[in-house]
Amino acid sequence: MLSVSRAVGLVVLAAAVLSFPGLAPNPYILSAGIVVLNYAVLATSWNFVGGFTGYISLGHGALAGLGGYGTALLVTKAGLPSFVALAVAALAVAALAVPIGLAALRVRGASFVIVSIALVLILLLVFQSWSSVTGGSRGLVVPRPFPDLLRPEHHRVFYYLFAGLLALALLAWWVIDRSRFGLGLKAIREDEDKAEALGTPTFTYKLIVFVVSAGFTALAGGLYALWFGDLDPVFQFSILTGSYLVLMALLGGVRNLFGPLAGALIVGTALEYFKGQFGNTPLHLVATGVLLGLVVMFMPDGVLPAITGLWQRLRKSPQSSIREVSAADLQTERQRAEVAK
Amino acid sequence: MSLATVDLRKAFGGVVALDGATVTFREGRINALIGPNGSGKTTYFNCVTGMIRADSGTVTYGGTDITRKAPHAIARAGVGRTFQLCRVFPRMTALDNVLAAVRPGGVSGGLRGARHRAEVDRARGWLTRLGIEHLIDIEARNMSWGQQKLLELAGVLMGEPATVLLDEPAGGVNPALLDRIGTLVRDLNAEGRTFVIVEHNMDLVMSISDHIVVFDRGRPIAEGPPSLIRTDERVLGAYLGS
Repeated sequence: MLSVSRAVGLVVLAAAVLSFPGLAPNPYILSAGIVVLNYAVLATSWNFVGGFTGYISLGHGALAGLGGYGTALLVTKAGLPSFVALAVAALAVAALAVPIGLAALRVRGASFVIVSIALVLILLLVFQSWSSVTGGSRGLVVPRPFPDLLRPEHHRVFYYLFAGLLALALLAWWVIDRSRFGLGLKAIREDEDKAEALGTPTFTYKLIVFVVSAGFTALAGGLYALWFGDLDPVFQFSILTGSYLVLMALLGGVRNLFGPLAGALIVGTALEYFKGQFGNTPLHLVATGVLLGLVVMFMPDGVLPAITGLWQRLRKSPQSSIREVSAADLQTERQRAEVAK
Repeated sequence: MSLATVDLRKAFGGVVALDGATVTFREGRINALIGPNGSGKTTYFNCVTGMIRADSGTVTYGGTDITRKAPHAIARAGVGRTFQLCRVFPRMTALDNVLAAVRPGGVSGGLRGARHRAEVDRARGWLTRLGIEHLIDIEARNMSWGQQKLLELAGVLMGEPATVLLDEPAGGVNPALLDRIGTLVRDLNAEGRTFVIVEHNMDLVMSISDHIVVFDRGRPIAEGPPSLIRTDERVLGAYLGS
């Protein structure tokens, strides 16, 4: 039941994403495109929890990190083929999300945010200290899945892999969004106790969607590890990652299928640009912080709903109850009413 | 399915909200639960529906012990409730508010579209019966207080509860709407639904209830038909503070 305009939009979006590698002038721009797509997958995965249930997690960076390290270790230590390792790691992180969720989802609001931060910090310490396995802060080198490919080709392949993963995550979000399960999750976002009183097993619902979210996040983290080829706990288990995801999802609009994607395109591009401009200074963090503040103050529902709202206002929808009518219009309308009698 | 509690106790710190409440609300009746402010009526509802856990005592529904069951399990067993300060899902349309009471079973049920034809029809039916069908696509936050109260009730009824607990259905409601709610409760009761109503509006309580339980300081002090309760010395004492 896709409307024509939505179908056209979808085709244009897909065409734009898929044609980017052909249009990218150099491998650096292409790799920036991969980083942005990776953010888009992560933000969409985050939105399974954040968008549906309203639980704001700053800890999703840790789930991506676990996916990355899981994939890397399964390749290096267990000798699994790269993409088998990726799948196994994602399943393992999804399984691990059950006990994490059992603990974290007991608390709501600000407490949940703090628990999710704790998850990142604990894992950072573990992965830094346990250097015999993880390589610690010396890093962990991940063997490339396609050793024969030249760098630009390698980027191109991974760009399409990320695009495929993004499509999968969007599809899953869409299926849940229109389902009864999704309606139950949204009821939790609106009023959790009320949802429970209406017969929704809220805790089970939250846990299931957290596990789905963790699985997709880990897939993105693992794919990133295979692409980037080098992992460092400081970057893998960073609160910044989670904060970026929150910013992207809020900026784009958490109630919208494509909100996190739109946010990732804006924030991801801005981040790459700021990093280029400000280099190694923390100024890009200041810029990001200002952006987050502005979004929360002026567009609490995100960019997409703001644009849609503006569009509807400009279009002067005939459904609006108050509309401007010229004297001539009024005259014709009255005549028509007379005739109808 | 009668709803019964035996020696239910609940204290919040030093404040004793329920002090050994032993009450039976019989099936098929319109029961009322009245008492002065702070006498434990809402706490009683919260304990019965599992929203808060009683310190001791038991709750049974149709003979089954539901004392330690989760609120959603109690709702699914057939006990629906409204809240004192009417609670709806503010950023959902009236239709979605009512559809949220559908309880899918299993993975395939959960992934089925929320706008299933038969359920939408049933939801529309309840909205129509409560006289707010014209608001079906309006978000709850844009409705008036009275409309929100009707919407909340429609959502609860969508779950087809055999027993309905109403917490102050008349609170903040205009007289015309009050009449409608009273008539609705009577009709639903005639169709076989049991009611337990916490209410301060004595005209409503006396006119629709079959059986009244009076709470004071966390325990029942009197119960019986309206004619008896109206003249009961202890009840007058509790309300007038003598």
